[in-house]
Amino acid sequence: MISLKRFVACTLAAGLFLCGCASVNTFVVLLPEEGGAASAVTVGEGSQRTVLDKPYSAAAVDLQRNIETKTVTAEDVKRTFAEALAAQPPPSVSFTLYFETNSVEVTPASRPALDALFAEVAKRRAVEVQVTGHTDRVGSTADNDRLSLQRAEAVRAMLIQRGVQASFLRAVGRGEREPLIPTPDEQAEPRNRRVEVIVR
Amino acid sequence: MKWLLQIMFAVSCAVFAVAAGPIAAAQIGQIKNTAGQVFLLRNNNQQPAKAGDIVEEADIITTGANSSVGITLIDNSRLSAGPNSRIELKQFRFNPTTQEGESLTEVRRGTLAVVSGQIAKRSPEAMKVQTPTTILGVRGTTFAVRVEE
Repeated sequence: MISLKRFVACTLAAGLFLCGCASVNTFVVLLPEEGGAASAVTVGEGSQRTVLDKPYSAAAVDLQRNIETKTVTAEDVKRTFAEALAAQPPPSVSFTLYFETNSVEVTPASRPALDALFAEVAKRRAVEVQVTGHTDRVGSTADNDRLSLQRAEAVRAMLIQRGVQASFLRAVGRGEREPLIPTPDEQAEPRNRRVEVIVR
Repeated sequence: MKWLLQIMFAVSCAVFAVAAGPIAAAQIGQIKNTAGQVFLLRNNNQQPAKAGDIVEEADIITTGANSSVGITLIDNSRLSAGPNSRIELKQFRFNPTTQEGESLTEVRRGTLAVVSGQIAKRSPEAMKVQTPTTILGVRGTTFAVRVEE
């Protein structure tokens, strides 16, 4: 008798899943990455846990927390998630600007990157900008802290001049702590005299 | 005249410190776009949401029919919800210097597309998405969730 009940329950569960009806509560699908980079999402906890690690692999979780995996198509994804995917904000973009020795002047070679930064900021809505200044290891830590902040502030000032809302524009100096190229102390290194800008 | 200069200097320093200093700890992201009816529920107070609005931990974002919203969080993760959705930013902790943190986002109903950011990149599965019936651990990067009531 007991085994018959189980059999009926299993059949019922399988039937519900196959007809894709109301008992499915959560549906998750892994989407392809740009450039085909590896990607994965785990579904559930403990012994129930399932890993989705291939594009378009999907899991349906019912109200009893049973997980069924399957593979869906790009068309299925579009049907279910078109509006959510269309609302995806653009990814953040990073820029690196290099500076003259002991100066807040951007090098001539970095002018195109500066123009690209201005263009990127101008085309975004509700833009946030994080500006982080750095120095090489010539000079004292305190002087480099000051110089790195001055560099970040110089970039920030140029952005404000172009109408970026200051409340979403942060400038910080990291001094000589985070060199792009590790060097001994007091060594000049043009690639470390820089400001990194993240536009989001 | 000297005291006036001193006051002006003090004020300009204060303004500078506010403008250049770190943002309030409560800000965890920003609404980038909205279409149709989008609301932000904070401390039991519901307001229409618009592009540029700041989001904080524990905020609940809801969308109506034919509506959608796009949000970026400060770890560069991106969330976007389709119509008839209810998304709660339950927990969010992120250190921009070490890039470590953890987050928990709940999808109560509707659809949510996710591109994970620095939190998931630095510590796989430190970014979690919860629904009424399951919990997702995000190793990276792009996926979508639908929850039916």
